Amino acid sequence: MFKQLSVAFLLAVSSLHAQSAALMGFEDSYMLMTETGEYNQELMFNYAPSIHHAFGVEVMRMSPKGMRATTMTGINYTGLIQRWNLPSAQANVWFMGSVGEARGLHHGFSYSPSVQFDYETTRLYFLAKMRMLRAPGMNNDMVAVQGGFSFYEADFDDTQPWFVLEAKAIKNFNPSFQLTPALRLINKNYFLELGVTNPFNKSERAPRLNLMFTY
Amino acid sequence: MKNILIILCCLLVSPIVSAATSIKAEVNGMVCAFCAKGIEKKLNAMPEGQGAFVDLKRRIVVLELKPQQNVSLDAFTQVIKDAGYAVSKVEKVEQSIVEIKANIKASMKGQ
Repeated sequence: MFKQLSVAFLLAVSSLHAQSAALMGFEDSYMLMTETGEYNQELMFNYAPSIHHAFGVEVMRMSPKGMRATTMTGINYTGLIQRWNLPSAQANVWFMGSVGEARGLHHGFSYSPSVQFDYETTRLYFLAKMRMLRAPGMNNDMVAVQGGFSFYEADFDDTQPWFVLEAKAIKNFNPSFQLTPALRLINKNYFLELGVTNPFNKSERAPRLNLMFTY
Repeated sequence: MKNILIILCCLLVSPIVSAATSIKAEVNGMVCAFCAKGIEKKLNAMPEGQGAFVDLKRRIVVLELKPQQNVSLDAFTQVIKDAGYAVSKVEKVEQSIVEIKANIKASMKGQ
């Protein structure tokens, strides 16, 4: 119990730190994010009352190959720690954290703090992310990097296609290394990504769909 | 005499057809439509404006003002900052959004 409270306190402290950091835009917006794949399914909904932070709920299901899945349900916080607005680029450092309950293969209090850095121009994209994913008896901490390029520059009202390659390593998970090439379409209201995880390994190959809507 | 009449007519009509005033800014960090939507939303919410335009390729945002309405450049810059971006240049132009779009189109043809 003390450990759980300590973790919740640490998350809260981290959240407060993020709230006091740089400004960021999309005040008064709702966002829905989903990921659907064989190994991971995630649904998150949040509301950003200001440009500094967003609060929401999420359900995440980790489905390792050949093992029973664990579903984590909880509340989450997203905060912008720092943003750099450059003449033709933008870079950000984000904190994201969630606390909730795990059910399935693992039961009990779950928590998942993460830190993300991203850099983007109108044609290039890079992201690095570290995420702890813990519940009693469960440690699926992960690191991920993504890189991509857009096929062409697009106008504000147009949909812009991107090619994105993600490499992800997950502790105590099968498959522990996931490589996902994907086609991403970005519009001002939505983000759609269709990829294939581990396409060169027949036994691990699996489609993955990511969606994001904002309004 | 005919010329004088034409000039007088032009002078009388000119206030009616005078160019609209817009605020035009170059914005740092605006790299995708998904993120620039926050700027468009903020600009469309300004009661002094009658239209907003975002040009992602040139990193330009424009707010066309309603007749007799005014927004200071500082206030406009603050709106962009509040949306999470930085302004590198801001100016008032005697052009409507339609005219600004036409100029951009013309400059693209010239390239």
